[in-house]
Amino acid sequence: MDNLTLWGLFFAVGLGTYLVRLSFIQLHGSTQALLERSKTILMLLPPAILAALCIPAIVFQRPTTEYQLDWIQILAGLVTVLIAHFSRSVFWPVVGGMLCLWLARWLISGNAV
Amino acid sequence: MHFSNYRQQFWEGVRDLLPLVSGVLPFGLIAGATGVALGMSPEMIMGMTVLFYAGSAQLAAYQLIQDNAPFVIIVLTSVVVNLRFAIYSATFAPLIAPLKARYRYPLAYLLSDQAYGLCNVPEQLDRSTGERLWYLTGVATSMCVAWILSVLLGVALGTSIPAHWSLEFTIPLAFLAMLVSTITSRLLFIVAVVAGLGAIAFQLLPYNLGFTLAVIAGVCCGIWLPGLVRRGGQSNG
Repeated sequence: MDNLTLWGLFFAVGLGTYLVRLSFIQLHGSTQALLERSKTILMLLPPAILAALCIPAIVFQRPTTEYQLDWIQILAGLVTVLIAHFSRSVFWPVVGGMLCLWLARWLISGNAV
Repeated sequence: MHFSNYRQQFWEGVRDLLPLVSGVLPFGLIAGATGVALGMSPEMIMGMTVLFYAGSAQLAAYQLIQDNAPFVIIVLTSVVVNLRFAIYSATFAPLIAPLKARYRYPLAYLLSDQAYGLCNVPEQLDRSTGERLWYLTGVATSMCVAWILSVLLGVALGTSIPAHWSLEFTIPLAFLAMLVSTITSRLLFIVAVVAGLGAIAFQLLPYNLGFTLAVIAGVCCGIWLPGLVRRGGQSNG
């Protein structure tokens, strides 16, 4: 993607995101019914999107064309899930997962990370 | 109500945000450093940061740019990742909607996960509208400053981070951690499993179609499954 396209992309997403933020504030009063109806989908979307974004990137080596399973990444993912289950933050699970990734790679390769 | 009281609310908001910076800073570092790793110029990364003002959408966009996904898919995905802001918008609407446009538009831009979290605790909800507005303003502006500075630091450090650290792997891990926190019921867990398996099953499809199909499959599952279970339960009983 060239730079001009990227800027176009950023402006489009920026505008879209801003309109989402403004939506109910601007339409306050006339949207309660719509909000009630779309509540289910609004609730279902985040887990669906996050799972579709991260699961393949964790399970498979990247960049790749052969889609080879990467067990170290899967292990790091499991550590992240475990920590996230208790901490509720984003920071510590990511730190734990990365430490696990580095440690496991170091143990297997015998080289310093 | 005196202005000095409101100023106190503003600084209380700033003060309450400070501990959250420990979570914002590394996330911003990742957002900045990943942009550098993808070969983007500093002004582009900062432009993207200010325009998005949404870390997870920024990481999602990075991932999809890396995957050579088409323009429309990247825009739709990034905006959809931000759909939770619609919930925040609805939550803050009674507070922000009556304001003049010159206050309303900037405050809408400043809405964030952190602002939503801090401003909706019972202690805040008991306060007057004015107090809540100034508290929100304090939280939201300091959050915005903290985020932009964190990304800037990430951009500055970006080139000095070795490639074999696989820092880009923090992106899917961050999504995974967010995923865990969004799963609050068994239904949402099933939705995530269906979407995740779908994304694996469909990943060979062109134009990143697999991603979209996986999300649709997960959401449809979440819509129809409760009905199916209920009907099944009735026919059994």
